[in-house]
Amino acid sequence: MQVFKLCMKIARKNMPLMMIYLVVFLVVSLVMTSSLAGEQKVEEPFTRVKSKMAFINEENSPLVEGLREELSKIAEFVELPDETEALQDALFFRKVTYILRVPEGFTGKFMSGEDVQLEKTIIPDSAGNVYIDLSIDKYLNAARLYIKNIGGITQESLVSRLQEDFSLSAPVKMQAPAGRQKDQSYARFFFNYMAYSLLSILILGITAIMLVFNDKGLRMRNACSPVNATSINVQFMLAGAVLTVAAWMIMVMCCLFFNLENALSINTVYFILNSFVFALCGSSLSFLIGNLAKSQDVASAVCNVVTLGFSFISGVFVPQEYLAELVLKIASFTPSYWFVRANNKIGEMTKFDLSSLMEVFSDMLVQVAFAVAFLGIALVAGKKRRYLE
Amino acid sequence: MVVKVENLVKRYGDIVAADHLSFSVEEGEVFGLLGPNGSGKTTAINCILSLLKYDSGTIEIFGRPARPDDYDIKRDIGIVMQNVAVYKELTVYENIDYFCGLYIHGKNERKRLVEEAIEFTGLADFRRFYPRKLSGGLLRRLNIACGIAHKPKLVIMDEPTVAIDPQSRNKILEGILELNRQGATIIYTTHYMEEVEQICSRIMIMDRGRAIAIGTKEELKQMISLGEKITVETFGITHSQADALRALPNIVSVECKDRMLVIKSSKGRNNLEAVLECMKTHNIQYGRIYSELPTLNDVFLEITGKDLRDQGV
Amino acid sequence: MFVHIFKYRLKCLLRDRANIFWTMMFPVILATFFYMALSNLGSSEAFKPINLAVVDNEHFRQDLQFKNVLEQVSSGDDRLFNLFIVPEERAKEMLEDNSVEGYIKADTSIDPPIALFVKKSGLNQSIVKSFIDDYLQTQSAVKAILSENPGKYAEILRDLSERKNYLKQVSGTKANPDNLPFFFYTLIAMSCFYGGFFGNREITDIQADISPLAARINAAPVHKMKTFLYSASAALLIHLAELFVLLIYLLLVLKVDFGPKTGYVFLTTMSGSVAGLSFGAFVSAVVKKSEGIKIGILVGTTMFCSFLSGMMNQNMKYIISQNVPVLSWINPVNLLTDAFYCLYYYDTYRRYYLNMAALLFFIVLFCSCTFILIRRRRYASL
Repeated sequence: MQVFKLCMKIARKNMPLMMIYLVVFLVVSLVMTSSLAGEQKVEEPFTRVKSKMAFINEENSPLVEGLREELSKIAEFVELPDETEALQDALFFRKVTYILRVPEGFTGKFMSGEDVQLEKTIIPDSAGNVYIDLSIDKYLNAARLYIKNIGGITQESLVSRLQEDFSLSAPVKMQAPAGRQKDQSYARFFFNYMAYSLLSILILGITAIMLVFNDKGLRMRNACSPVNATSINVQFMLAGAVLTVAAWMIMVMCCLFFNLENALSINTVYFILNSFVFALCGSSLSFLIGNLAKSQDVASAVCNVVTLGFSFISGVFVPQEYLAELVLKIASFTPSYWFVRANNKIGEMTKFDLSSLMEVFSDMLVQVAFAVAFLGIALVAGKKRRYLE
Repeated sequence: MVVKVENLVKRYGDIVAADHLSFSVEEGEVFGLLGPNGSGKTTAINCILSLLKYDSGTIEIFGRPARPDDYDIKRDIGIVMQNVAVYKELTVYENIDYFCGLYIHGKNERKRLVEEAIEFTGLADFRRFYPRKLSGGLLRRLNIACGIAHKPKLVIMDEPTVAIDPQSRNKILEGILELNRQGATIIYTTHYMEEVEQICSRIMIMDRGRAIAIGTKEELKQMISLGEKITVETFGITHSQADALRALPNIVSVECKDRMLVIKSSKGRNNLEAVLECMKTHNIQYGRIYSELPTLNDVFLEITGKDLRDQGV
Repeated sequence: MFVHIFKYRLKCLLRDRANIFWTMMFPVILATFFYMALSNLGSSEAFKPINLAVVDNEHFRQDLQFKNVLEQVSSGDDRLFNLFIVPEERAKEMLEDNSVEGYIKADTSIDPPIALFVKKSGLNQSIVKSFIDDYLQTQSAVKAILSENPGKYAEILRDLSERKNYLKQVSGTKANPDNLPFFFYTLIAMSCFYGGFFGNREITDIQADISPLAARINAAPVHKMKTFLYSASAALLIHLAELFVLLIYLLLVLKVDFGPKTGYVFLTTMSGSVAGLSFGAFVSAVVKKSEGIKIGILVGTTMFCSFLSGMMNQNMKYIISQNVPVLSWINPVNLLTDAFYCLYYYDTYRRYYLNMAALLFFIVLFCSCTFILIRRRRYASL
């Protein structure tokens, strides 16, 4: 078991680096737990946090007042002095995310049906702004409808009618899920994120061992030793397997530990199964990288590019539904894509009948195919390299 | 006087790396600094090069106090470090050219000097090689070439032959003598006494930061009582036979170990003849027999009570 | 002497492949990933029709108006919904097995007459709700108008079909209101600070107590500071060139919009390069540990600072600037990110200059500390 022991020693030497990935993974997961827990407390799912906005009107009229009233449903008004610097600073410090300016003469022109516009200054990345935009457009479009079709309508009557109309809102009813009481969003996030951290750890650990063993002198010395080649290979594989299973188990345990109340469901079993398939695939990919990389420098570069690249395009960092069609097509050439896809399906699963399970299993099967392919290429490449040297 | 060190003291915390060290190197010498690892050789070198702060003492080079900003002095010094100090991204030629360029401004002169250094160190076939492709011996030669390409008047070499094969070592040692013949003064540190004996005209033996002896190798050997060591292969010897040998004039000690009889004599000639005579008369059977003059190791052993060889790693 | 040292330094650094990879290739690759992952955010073509079920009951069949509107938005290539008109039981099932995001049930006996059933809240569900709200509100307005002017039906329909946009964006955001560039700003800032690798190398190669190579350089008849400055300028040139490659790549290949002040973006990047380089030199001079630890500290600090300035999560930047504003001023990566941000979003240069002044302060601080630490030409130990 000398070879096996040496492998473990090398792995232990690289432990600090692997630990960094593990710790970052755990911290991110913890942050996610707390933020998800916060979200779940909101009972009515469609209440939104009110955006902060500045409402600067250069004129006062019932119409403008009505608009202001309507906006107060979704926004909180902040008083600001009407100076460019002050306004931009307010945006800068996020005292407000939206500044609306009603230019002088707006009401008059609007009431007479002319084309006029309000001026907005916004911080573009604030989600609440979209609702303010929508709200203003809806309100003014409805107002225009009245003005065009009821001749001589006064501002006061217009505003009161609009107020009535806009009080209408469709009730939303949450249908209690029958088959699935547990919330799987955390588990889904957690397992998806594993595609990054587990893969990083596996590539780092396994390539570190491979680099030592692929060293020419050492390989020759091993070849000369009275231990037969099969035994060396078996021990080597065993070390890889132990490393893989250990890393995988630690991560799965953490997931169960942080998310205990939701973990006791059938979905979890499939999550774990899927992640195990991915771990196998990851270790065979690491084996391939270890066979191709010539130095630690190359290995760490490849490790970063591969893990980050896979994660970005296959929906680990940005959910798959936000990714472009083309990107997803490219991503389908990576095992991470299939892993994430299976996770997403598992997270949504409420019935465990054959047809829905088959979908998940087919994704796992693709990962297995990747694993076999990586292993095959690794063996061929390794052999070739050995002959060349 | 090329280098003059007086009362140099350098401490690292509790360890005294140079303990009132004084020595001087004359022009044209190959001056050897011999001592086990940790004896303070490199410290002394680094002080001479103005790289290290020292606690007290004075160092003069070419008659001027050594200062880190005296570039006229530095220009005439070539150094070969203990560790290989070359850029791994530069080829053999580029490395030599770079370091030479720090000393020599004229482009044509530099080119000529670099070519000479390549020729001198026998690196002509490797000029486009990157250091990582070179074997240990070639790397050491490159290390030397970088230090001496600018034809310095004083060459300081700090263990340039550590961990290399005998062939490369011989080549390097020959090179050093050649440099010396061309007019360079050389300070050479090592813990291999054979090297020192082979090339150095004057030797300083160091131990624990102190100079324990300075002189030519003959002078050093004169210092100690041991004159000759005779080793005899015997097939058994009795106490009385041994005592008879001890009774001979000039014989200091007779020891028998593993059928090898070691007879040490103090000064004086014809000791071997006397021993042979004695063995014949006392019927001592013997096989091979040989006589050696004392080595520097014997000098070191006698002064410090330690073996020089065992300490060097 | 300058030419000699500079030329060889360029050769050396350009052949240091690991260094070139991390300082140039890695940011370019990362930018590509950012682009691939984020390019779809905010672009409407990415919208996929929402699967929506409607309960096929008496109320729905009779509410022709609602039916029409629904069918209208559910047809064509740019449709909003994939509509399934099914019995209530089936609708429930479909929601259950996620074939639809929600279902609508009309019931004129209650007020308001349309209700939405969902299983979870999300963007798609919000869109459905907004749609229904809008319908209800418009319907109420139409009813009110018709009750006074019954003959206007056709006109109302025409007016309804031409919705107007009543907002125009002004000052402060002359640039396209798109948050995609922000990610690239943090990336540029990070790449600037990856210049620390160069700074670290310059120190390693000039401090005799770090490397034997430096000892040899120190023994040569060239002033230590001169050697250092000459080689550092070679490093700076390379790093600047690398950053320009990155900027050009972002501008021309990924077509990232840097707003109207692209020239300033280049200028800011250059200052960032100096800051990154001096930061690396500073770390290398202060931390008297092995090369690995130095690199670890460099990368770790850069990544942590990038994280705080919003590289991994945009909101981080705002959380910091609102709760711990000091932290955003003492984080040099954030200063850079923020400088880019100001150039992009603001008309005035005040905030930009403040950021640049603070950055300059850091550069001076790093440089002077480094200078004090490496000024010595004799070392206590080697």
